[in-house]
Amino acid sequence: MRTVAGQIETRHDRQEADTLVAVRGRRRPPWSQIVGTALILGWTLPPFLYLVLLSVKPERIMAVRSALIFWPTFERYREIVITNLGLPIWNSLLTSITGALVTLALASLAAVTFSFLDFRGKAALFLMMLLPRMFPPVTTLIPIHLAMKTLGLIDTRTGLILLFAAFQVPLAIWVMRTALAEVPLELVESAALDGASLPVIVARVVLPLAGPGLLAAFILAFIFNWNEFLFPLILTSFHAKTGSVAITSFSGGYKQLPWGPLAVLGVVMTMPVILFVLAFRAALVRGFTAGALKG
Amino acid sequence: MRWATLGRGRLYFLLLTLPAVLYVIAWRTAPALYTICLSFTQYNIIYDPGPRWNHLANYLRLLHDSGLLQALRLSAIFALAATGIELVIGVGAAAFFDSDPPARNLLLGIFLLPMVMAPVVVGTVWSALFDPTVGPIMYLFEVLKAPEFQWLASPLTAFLGLIVADAWEWTPLAALLLFAAMQAIPREQHEAARVDGASPFQLFWRVILPQITSMLVVAGGLRLMDAFLELDKVFVMTGGGPGTSTQFVSYYVYKQAFQAYELGYASTVITGLLALLTVVFAFYLRRYGRMLRSAAS
Repeated sequence: MRTVAGQIETRHDRQEADTLVAVRGRRRPPWSQIVGTALILGWTLPPFLYLVLLSVKPERIMAVRSALIFWPTFERYREIVITNLGLPIWNSLLTSITGALVTLALASLAAVTFSFLDFRGKAALFLMMLLPRMFPPVTTLIPIHLAMKTLGLIDTRTGLILLFAAFQVPLAIWVMRTALAEVPLELVESAALDGASLPVIVARVVLPLAGPGLLAAFILAFIFNWNEFLFPLILTSFHAKTGSVAITSFSGGYKQLPWGPLAVLGVVMTMPVILFVLAFRAALVRGFTAGALKG
Repeated sequence: MRWATLGRGRLYFLLLTLPAVLYVIAWRTAPALYTICLSFTQYNIIYDPGPRWNHLANYLRLLHDSGLLQALRLSAIFALAATGIELVIGVGAAAFFDSDPPARNLLLGIFLLPMVMAPVVVGTVWSALFDPTVGPIMYLFEVLKAPEFQWLASPLTAFLGLIVADAWEWTPLAALLLFAAMQAIPREQHEAARVDGASPFQLFWRVILPQITSMLVVAGGLRLMDAFLELDKVFVMTGGGPGTSTQFVSYYVYKQAFQAYELGYASTVITGLLALLTVVFAFYLRRYGRMLRSAAS
């Protein structure tokens, strides 16, 4: 004999199950999802995990390819801090972060104008800002190299920061503009009616509300700067060499390589990216699709 | 915010855009235009004190450059093959994510990892995997008693290796875009198809696929363009070799400009490339423009 409460509970459960099925549309047999999950993980993870494995594999069994289980060594990670391999990572970190911050400052100011004002030639100006994303970066390679040489900024972190600040401005404006579109106009107008001056409105009302957009733009700019290879390659050689350039300075096509340090550098280069991706997945997905569609 | 509430703010606001506009012009637009100017000059950074006007000589050289022709052909084959693979696997992955598997968002985050990693690290990962001394792939070949060879040191396999690495890196982008397109399809259509007795295969082939064609065109176009200009992984994995068998067009430009120091001629190659891409892009827009707008909305 079931109690009334029990009956209600079961009915409630069944209802919930029904709505669940309705919401998801269709139920696949679970095995197909298990296989799918396994395929996705099996596609993405092994190559990267192998790099991690190489980075902690002791030197004397480096070439023993069947040895997949061993006592890991973290010597190389300690070495990277004291040897000259630490410098490129530090350079990467410094230039990417500073570059992304300057990008953010430039882009958010411009994005505020683009999303709140109507003026003649706005569409043309906006297009002009986004168009550079369409043509490949290689088109600017030679003049930028010459300009940096003339300015005496070859192999300096300042030069890289100047460049990084410019590169992601179009993307950042695009990301910011979608974020600013969600800021209610009434708030801005009532602040204006209350006598707030423009810098105050921007700083106290608009930018705080567009916080998530700012964050997404910052992370995207940082990741693109961090991953940039071609320009650091031609603009730096020693002092300002970035992590991605340092990785290639090992390689020379297909001769014997010091795989241990190389793997360590690869893992260290990937760390910040993994952290950002796992922490800000949603913002990144939006940003990457926006970046991919290029306006 | 309207002009009425802004008052004199209009000027301030235009001033706000100025830094970004100037910056983009200085670092993106002006250099691109200067490249076009340089393409009409003889400028070897070792021998020439400055760019010297030589009219159309570079363009004549361009027409008879067999190295460039080979690079263009290799890039085109590479782009087509890599894009094809990425779209096919991408559709599969997108359909899987669209079926709402448990922990979908976490799985999606992991799946996106290769695409946000630095391309040079992707290159390093795959050269380690293909390496004969530390890599598992050649070890597998050895265990299976296959004839011995060096994966990245033979023309055909080096080319294949680059395609595999590119597919690993960029399939997530294709999958992400296609997944977004699939999510936009109303769930009622799935149910209606199921009620009508459609098998999952028919549902995909008759209902889902026709509605994601425009996104397939977008994703394919994006990947074709980027893969055509691939440089980073070539640099790390093969260095354009063995011989010139993986010397793609970006690598060719790099070699002309920074190994042969022929800045003038390299600019000509870039300008030619830009013209080619513009033509292709215009054609693409003309053909698929309507599809792009429907994909964006």
